[in-house]
This record gives sequence, structure tokens and C-alpha cells, in this order.
Amino acid sequence: MKIIRALKSGALRALKVWKGVLIVWFCYLLLVSLVAIPMKGALKAGFGQSMITEMLRDGINVEVFSDLGAILTNLIAYFSSGLFLLLLFGILMNAFLTGGLFDSLKGISVKFSSAEFFRASARNFWSFLVITLLINIIILFLTVFIIGITAAITMQSYNDSGTTSFLAVIVAAIILLSVIIILILVADYARAWQVAKEKPACFKALGFGSNRTFRTFLSSFPMMLMLISVQVLFAWLVLKILGSWKPLTTGGVFLLFLMSQFLFFIRILLKTWRYGSVTSLKEKNDLLTDAQGSSNI
Amino acid sequence: MKKPVIFSILILLFPFVLKSQIINKEPLSERITGYEIDARLDPVEKTITGIMEAFWVNKSSDIIPDIQMHLYMNAFRSSKTTFYRELRGFPGYKDSGFGWIDIKSFTGGAGTDLIPLIQYISPDDGNPEDRTVIKVSLPKVARPGDTVFIKVIFETKLPSRIIRTGYNDDFFFVAQWFPKFGVYEPAGMRYAIKGGWNCHQFHAESEFYSDHSVYDVKITVPKEYVVGSGGMLIDELDSDPEGKNKTLTYRAEDIVDFAWTAWPGYAVFTDQWKHVNITLLLPEERIEQVDRQFTAVKNALEYLTKNVGPFPWPHLTFVDPPAKGSGSGGMEYTTLFTSESADKIPDWRHLPEMVTVHEFGHAYFMGILASNEFEEPWMDEGMNSFWEARIMDHYYGENSGRIDHPMLKISDKSTDRMNYVRSEKRQLVSNNEYSWNYPDGAYGIMSYYKASTWLYTLMGIIGEETTNEIFREYYKKWAFKHPCGKDFINVVNEVVTKIHGDKFGPDMNWFFEQTLYGTGICDYKVAEIMNRKSEISQDNIRTGNVPDSSLSNPDSLFTAVARIERIGEVALPVDVLIHFSNGDEVLETWDGKNRFKDFNYHRSRKILWVKIDPEFRIRMDVNYINNSMTLDPDRIIVRRLTNNIITLMQFFISFFTF
Ligand SMILES: [Zn+2]
Repeated sequence: MKIIRALKSGALRALKVWKGVLIVWFCYLLLVSLVAIPMKGALKAGFGQSMITEMLRDGINVEVFSDLGAILTNLIAYFSSGLFLLLLFGILMNAFLTGGLFDSLKGISVKFSSAEFFRASARNFWSFLVITLLINIIILFLTVFIIGITAAITMQSYNDSGTTSFLAVIVAAIILLSVIIILILVADYARAWQVAKEKPACFKALGFGSNRTFRTFLSSFPMMLMLISVQVLFAWLVLKILGSWKPLTTGGVFLLFLMSQFLFFIRILLKTWRYGSVTSLKEKNDLLTDAQGSSNI
Repeated sequence: MKKPVIFSILILLFPFVLKSQIINKEPLSERITGYEIDARLDPVEKTITGIMEAFWVNKSSDIIPDIQMHLYMNAFRSSKTTFYRELRGFPGYKDSGFGWIDIKSFTGGAGTDLIPLIQYISPDDGNPEDRTVIKVSLPKVARPGDTVFIKVIFETKLPSRIIRTGYNDDFFFVAQWFPKFGVYEPAGMRYAIKGGWNCHQFHAESEFYSDHSVYDVKITVPKEYVVGSGGMLIDELDSDPEGKNKTLTYRAEDIVDFAWTAWPGYAVFTDQWKHVNITLLLPEERIEQVDRQFTAVKNALEYLTKNVGPFPWPHLTFVDPPAKGSGSGGMEYTTLFTSESADKIPDWRHLPEMVTVHEFGHAYFMGILASNEFEEPWMDEGMNSFWEARIMDHYYGENSGRIDHPMLKISDKSTDRMNYVRSEKRQLVSNNEYSWNYPDGAYGIMSYYKASTWLYTLMGIIGEETTNEIFREYYKKWAFKHPCGKDFINVVNEVVTKIHGDKFGPDMNWFFEQTLYGTGICDYKVAEIMNRKSEISQDNIRTGNVPDSSLSNPDSLFTAVARIERIGEVALPVDVLIHFSNGDEVLETWDGKNRFKDFNYHRSRKILWVKIDPEFRIRMDVNYINNSMTLDPDRIIVRRLTNNIITLMQFFISFFTF
């Protein structure tokens, strides 16, 4: 019941800050376009006046791309460095914007104001950046560690029939996913606490985050699992749509663009729903602990 | 005085030679060699001890003083063998526990000890550390028609890391394990100027060239082992009173090599295609792939029977080795071959099917049509890759022979073309080198992919039915013989001129000179489209370049020119499709001999677009993008791609920034 109430409240809060979501969506589009537009130019130049693009009507044709030769090699190099830069700037931008989002999500009756959104973004930036970076590093480290162990087990079982390796991979995947969910929970609690305190104290925030995650594990974890599952399902749906929708007219492509951006907007809304639900659950538990007078954080 | 080794009459004394045909009513090949082997596997010591009686008949008109034989397991004897030297750089080659074959006794027909007459030779590279070929001087020369009998007692130790052959734990794949005759080539056969043995060392990239033989093989293994081999199972008996071991008797006819495998973990399945009983051995974990495997092999049987020639044996065994035996995967021993797979392999990934089709195909290309893999690997791997691609794309989708996923489809033929076209080594050497002469990494690109791609190109030029007819004729003429490259080209010339007359010239040699023997690339390009308002000159009218109708409206007259260039060295005839503003389309042909060609038109229409080779028949063309040009390029696809890239990037960052 507690979970359902938190989810419901989170959803309402997310819908209320739709303007904030719109700001985030726009920033993402702007950032990605900086990398994607030159790529479009390179592709256009690569195909030149050729009619080979006819062969791409039904989808990716590796032979056509392979014939791009050196242009493809450059494109891939550009794409990978572009992706890396995007990730870097994405983390910075995200640290900034989530400050505003979390701030607008707290409480229940505050009206959304973009001025307040950006003020909160600026206020929380450094603290949120440290939280994101730390959690990212831990996730990276654990991922490498778990994959390493799995690889070792798989190598060891070279002499077995193969069932051991398969089991090892499944178990590793489940462990990795659970760990990631827990770490995200810690990050969300930490950020919710941070905006509530209104002064930057990222390590204290992380302390609160892990404390709250484990103290309320039985309600927090299932809630997060549900929220993440919805997000994963949604991402899968988007992939399906993009994979099967292949418009062949200018209007069709424009419609696809609108649809893609709408879907990405929904994606941010879903994320905001997660922030809102965690904030709501945190606030409920704050009240409880306050009532019991045992809160010393 | 030594007793004579050669007795034509003694042939009657060898019981196995006397055995009438067991598998087929009539022999499919000339009986030049035959082997009777009694082999015992020691699963603890990882050895096979064998007693072998064998014969070789001098079918030539030469007087031959010696025999030459392969002792291929010696390729694993030290890290200095030619095989290991060539393997340098391959992952894991250093971990291989050594393997070898020791000759315990080698006697002639009448019991003469021939061991003192054995000499290790290295005809390919003179490597003194390589002991994969022996020359045995005969006490008495072999005259035309003579039969040489030998009896060899040998012990073969398998290498611990399986590279085609070897063991891992209780898994055994036993190939290249017994002494085998080379091929005696009299003058005039293949490229032989004078008679001599063709008996190459064991190389990293090639191992097959043998006469078609009869094999009677007894294999003794512990009872729990499941055995598969290239022979037909004749008999299975307990070999000791305690019933701990069993002896399996196999018979094989007209195959070029005999290999077998033993592992207690195999699950055995059988199926039937027309006259062929098919047996499949695979690990329990892959039982759900049984149907996929049988379907693949039956597809290959059907396609090759229809388009090349019959599969003449009533038995066929194939193996999908377990993970621990993966080093033996993807190998071919005619009536036995190995596929390759994994425990969980999605339906859209046609890897097991592809390997099965490929390795089965070797029953034709090198098995039945026993070309020399060492000297002309393109006739083996290249032809086989060509047929593999045709079969895969025919049965699994023209665009999805390799990968058939809703998001991504890849055909088998395009994999071959991409591998060739994208390789930096595509022009280093010709396609007609000995296998070990290819510089690092170029062997695969040339022998498999370039050859397959130019065979596709040949088919594009002369047509699919003519191509099939060529291979049917090639089979008719050369099945169970040793064809060489020029024999194949002769068949091509014969069939093409029979069907098409001199449409392509007196012969097709011009094609092979450029593709097989040349190092050039093929690349055509639309260089320019020009549409100019034209003045009607008296010249034009006189030469009839101006149609009467257009005279009435001289303003709308255009001189329209499509300029086509040949950038590559390879000149092949191409179609050129030209599309005009009024909807007209003209299909022109160009022999490609000059460096460029202008197609001129004087009419009240402009050229809108030009496509060279619109059907993509010239698959050797290394760049399809420059094969077409339009005045109004379609940017929709690029926009769609950009949209998808933007969206994926957005989701990507959003995913990593939680
Ligand atoms: Zn092959």
C-alpha cells in the first residue's frame, strides 16, 4: 500500500513539473544535435549523388555502409568520440538539471517556477555531480568485477558441457542488475535529502541515501524494481518502434521525429516519476521517523 | 639380396582388396590406394596404436623408385614444425601439448623391413625440423601396373589443444592420424611436366590432396564412448571378455581421408534424405538444434545434387562438437564433417546452418572433385564458399542467409564480398597462390572471399543457369579425379561457348586472367550527367541524331550525356541503365575496355539518373556507392538515419546518467 501511494504521489508530482521535464528534454535535444548534425552532413557527403540509399529503405544494409570505406571508418571514430563527449557533458548537464527537478518535486503544494528550477539546479550542481560520479564509478567498478568473475568461471568450465557457463552468466546478470538498482536507490534518496536540506553536503547525502535504502529496503527495493522495469520495458518499446517504422516521405520522417521526441519526453517523465516516488516515500518515512523522534540525520 | 617388395600377383593375398564393393555396387574412382587399419584408442595416454596394411598401384607409365607418405600428426611434434611456424600469431598456439606419430614397424609386401629406407623430406620449405612427409625408397622399383604393399605399425599421440585434431579431457577428434600416401602425378596430370609425387607438408592453412581410397577401419574404444566416423558401420563387437571395450568396424569407399571422433557425451540422432542415411552427433545441451542441423544438411544435399551432381554415398555423419572440442569444429572429411555452434544460439543467427552447409559442401569441392588444397585453395575453399553462400541465401532468404533479425539482415554473399572488398590485402597477391605463400591474413581473404566474389561475378555475367551447367559439366568430367584450375577454366570455356556462342568472345580466359590470376580491383563510377540545350546542326540532322518530331520544337532539345568511368584495373562488361525526364529508360551495355565511355542522346529529354550494373551482378565492384548518380538525390533515408541516431543517443545518455 505504501508503495502504491508513493508511486501515485510520485506520478502526480512528475506531471505537475512537466515544464521542468520539457526543459530537460530540450537540453538533451540540443546537446545531442551538436554531435548528430555534423554526422548527418558526413553521411550526406558520403552518399553524395548516389542512389544507393534506395537499398537502405527497408533498414540497415551493412553492405552499403561497408562500401562507404574510409568515410565509414571516420564516421565510426567520430561517433565513438562524440558519444564519449556526450556522456561527459551529459553527466554535467544531468547533475545540473536533476537539481532543479528534485527541488521542484519536493513537498506537495509548491507551484513550478522555472526561475526556482534553475536556482535549485545551480545550488545543487556540485553536490549532485559528486553523487552521480561516485555512484557511476562504483557501478563501473562492480560491473568490471562481476564480469571478470563470470568470465573466469566460464573459462574454468571450458571442460564442462556449457551449462555451468550459462548459469554463471544468468546469476551474474541478476546480481549486477540488483546492485545497480540498489545504487540508483541510494543516489535518489541522497538527492532527495540534499534538496530538502537546501545546503550542499553530498557525502552526508550519500550517507543518508544508503542508510535509508537499507532501513526501508523492503518497500524501497520493490518500488524501484517496478519503476526500473517500466523504464526498461519502455526503452524496449521505443527500440521496437524505431526498428519497424521506416517512413519513406519527408512528412513521414518529420512525423517520426516528432514521435521519437515525444517518446523521449515520456522517458524523462518516467524518470521524473521515479524521482517523485522516491521523494514521496522519503517524505512519508521522514514523518514516521520524526514522529518516533529517532531521526538524528 | 632383398626380397622384392612388389608383387602384382600378391594383390590376391590381401583380403581387404578382395572384398567386393560393399557400399556402392561399382567403384566410383580408380582403385589407386586402399587402407586396412586396426586402431585402438587409449583414452588415458591419449594415443592410438594402429596396425595398417595399405597398397598403392602405379597407374602411370613411369618406373617409380620410391613412395611418399604423409605423417601429419608430426606437425604437432615440436614448435619448430612448419605448421607451428605458420601458426605463429594464432591465439593459443603455444599451449598445445605436443602430438606425434611414431613408426614402430614398416615392412613391404613380403615382410621386408623398410625402416632403413625411410627418409624425412620437406619438399615445400626445406625445414629440417618438419617430419610430416617421408620418402621410402623401394627395394625394387614400381613398374607400370605394379602394386606396392606396406604394413605399418604406428603409435599416434594426439595434441592436447585441438587444432582440427587432438583431445581435450575425454573428447577425441582423430584426424590426420595414420600414414597416408601422397598422390603420384604422371607428366600431363594437372601441372606436372614430368612424373613425380605430389606430397606436401602439413601447413597451417591446408591439408588435403589425396587419391580416393577404400578404407576398412576397426576402432577399439572403451564401451562408454560414442564414435562417429567417415565410414559406414559394418559391425560392433565386444573386444574383451569383461566387456570393457568395443570394436567398431567401418567401411568407406572413394573418400580422400578417414577421420573419426569419440566422446562419451554425444547424443546420436538419425535422419534420411533420399538414399542418404544421416547421423548427427552433438552434445545433450544442443538437442533443440537437431532439426536446424538436419534441415541445413538436407538443404545442401538437395541444392548441390540439383545444381552440381549426385551425392553418391548412402551414409553421412556429422558432428557438432561440444565446447571443449570446439577446435575440431568446421572441418571436412567428405562423409564425416564437423559443424560449429553454441548451447544457446538464437534462430536468427544462422551460424550452425552456415558451417554445416559449408563443411558438407566440401564433400563436393575437394571430396568428389579432389583438387589440390595446397596449391589451389580457391578451388576448394573459394568454390565451396560460393556454393555455401548460394545455398544459405536460397534457403534462408536472399538478404538474410547469415543473419535474419527484424533489426538486421545480412546475406551470406554480402559477407563474402565485404570481407574481400574491405581488406587492405585485397591486391597484395593474386588468387592463384600456394596456400602457404599468402602473406599474413591474406589466405582467407583470397581463398574464400575473393574467389567466392568473382565466382558470383562470373555468374552475373553468364547467368545462373549457365553457371549451374558449368558445375554439372565439371562434376561429370572431373568427379573422383584431380582437376586443376585450368581444367575448370576449360569446362567454363566449353559450356559458355556451347550456350552463348561467341557472345563473350572465343573464350572466357579474359575473365580469369583479371580475376583469378590478376591483382587488380574492379570499380566502375558514374562520373557525370550533363544536360545541355543543344543547337541543331546540319551535322546532327545529316547523321540522324535528331529525331524528326523534336525538330518541331527546337527549344526543348537537349544534348544529354552520361559519362561512365572505370577506376579499377579489372575491365568487365557492364549494363548501364539511363533514366530520362520523360520517364524513358534505356539499358546500355559497355565492354569496359576503355577508361571511360560517354553515352550521348539528342532529344527533348534530360537524363535524370544513371545506374551502372543496376542488378548488382558485378559483385567484384569494390564500391557500389559510386555506381549510380541522380540529379535529385533522396535525402529522406539520411534524415531518417539521423533521427534514429539522435534518439538512440538521447536514450543512451539518459540511461547512463540515471
Ligand atoms: Zn572450408
